[in-house]
Amino acid sequence: MTAAQQHPLAPNIRLDAGLEIGYGRPLARFDEAVILGGGTHFLLARNGRGKTTLLRTLASTLKPVAGHFQVAGFIQYLPEDLRFDPWITPAMVFRALLPGARLQEALEFAGRVELDVKKPYGQLSTGNRRKTNLITAEFSVKPEVGNILLLDEPFSGIDAFTRQIFEEIWNASSANVLRLVSCHPDYDSMELSSALMIEGQQARYLNSGAQTWSQLKTLLN
Amino acid sequence: MRLFRLTIATIFQRKAWAICLLAVVALPFALPMISSATEKPILVQPARILAAWDALWVCAVLWGLFTAAREGEANAKSGIGEYFLATGLSATRQLFEIWLAVFCFLVPLTLITALICQFAAAPADPVEHSMWWVLNAQYVVLFLLVMAPLLALATALASRFGGISGFAVTLGIALYGLYGVGYLDNLLKLEENPILRHLWLFSPQYRFADLTQRLYFKSGALPTAAFWTMTLYFGGILAVYTGLSRLCFRTKLSS
Repeated sequence: MTAAQQHPLAPNIRLDAGLEIGYGRPLARFDEAVILGGGTHFLLARNGRGKTTLLRTLASTLKPVAGHFQVAGFIQYLPEDLRFDPWITPAMVFRALLPGARLQEALEFAGRVELDVKKPYGQLSTGNRRKTNLITAEFSVKPEVGNILLLDEPFSGIDAFTRQIFEEIWNASSANVLRLVSCHPDYDSMELSSALMIEGQQARYLNSGAQTWSQLKTLLN
Repeated sequence: MRLFRLTIATIFQRKAWAICLLAVVALPFALPMISSATEKPILVQPARILAAWDALWVCAVLWGLFTAAREGEANAKSGIGEYFLATGLSATRQLFEIWLAVFCFLVPLTLITALICQFAAAPADPVEHSMWWVLNAQYVVLFLLVMAPLLALATALASRFGGISGFAVTLGIALYGLYGVGYLDNLLKLEENPILRHLWLFSPQYRFADLTQRLYFKSGALPTAAFWTMTLYFGGILAVYTGLSRLCFRTKLSS
């Protein structure tokens, strides 16, 4: 368990002991309370163990099977299979969804990650669609309040170069943005200093500063 | 209004609205040229009235309902509905924003049709002419009152049962209300049947909102009392369909 940051804009998620998630019957249970504050937290589990279910529960689009949780902040949940109409372009998506003040910034960022904002969404590669979705979420963050981004496998299909650029944004905005990122790490030395893990039917929180994927993956079953 | 803007952008980019715009603008002038009105110039204006409003009805029930259904289905299936739900945009608000976006495309088409009728098919007789704009205005109001709840229902049904169901059911209701109830009415005049009588009683009488024949025969504006009665009647249907639509509407596929 970790203490949430005390910054007035700091977002937080509190998962009470006894929280059970699932679709009708429990997929996973938290035996200990967990409090997550601003910054990046990884959600790790094998396929079908409840990563997406936990994110949907925290987004309040799915009811928990039992127990309680609390979230404080403006929530955005980015489903893994989120897709916009194949005919509209990323530029149109940004114009429709982003605040006017951040539009130009988002378009410049799209240029940095080599996203062609004039190409129809349906003609973009998987990685470029993910970039569109991620940019939409990242630039919809509200600076005046705490934010919670629930990201379901955001980096599948995205190259390491782009990933690094997104991680720069994550580091810069960790004070008022809490990111819970479900993922399947792809290299052993990847640092996962704050990780929620679902092992079997039990969920727990690990936050040793030096822990890496190579250490954590042995815990998954 | 982020979902509203996204839906507007989607419909705009798909460009099918342009075909409707072309049909509504061009057909009232093109169709009379290939009809018997070419031999009898006196028939040009009635032919234009028929072409104008019929083109609008066809565009509304085919393109309008299809678009509403597609947007409702896409919102639920693509994860966009769930994304907005997580940000705090309720299902009611999502339904409203999608409906409003489709409706915003339908309103200009309706106004264009009314303007064509007003300025390119108005009768020369001063008495008839004075009532013309009132009748056109009444038609616009009743037409939009009929289409508005059908669009919402198409969106809602599609979000739960799929786009084809949303479109087919509302198209069926529209056609039944425009033509089917008339046949049922004639049937009941020939032979009384309590079941059919009840069915008729609870059927949406959309044919009363179709004032094309009234324009065609220059029958003048609807009496004020009759117009308000019809407005209330269609307002009642709107209230019922709005409730049904909200009950049916889903922001995401079932888990």
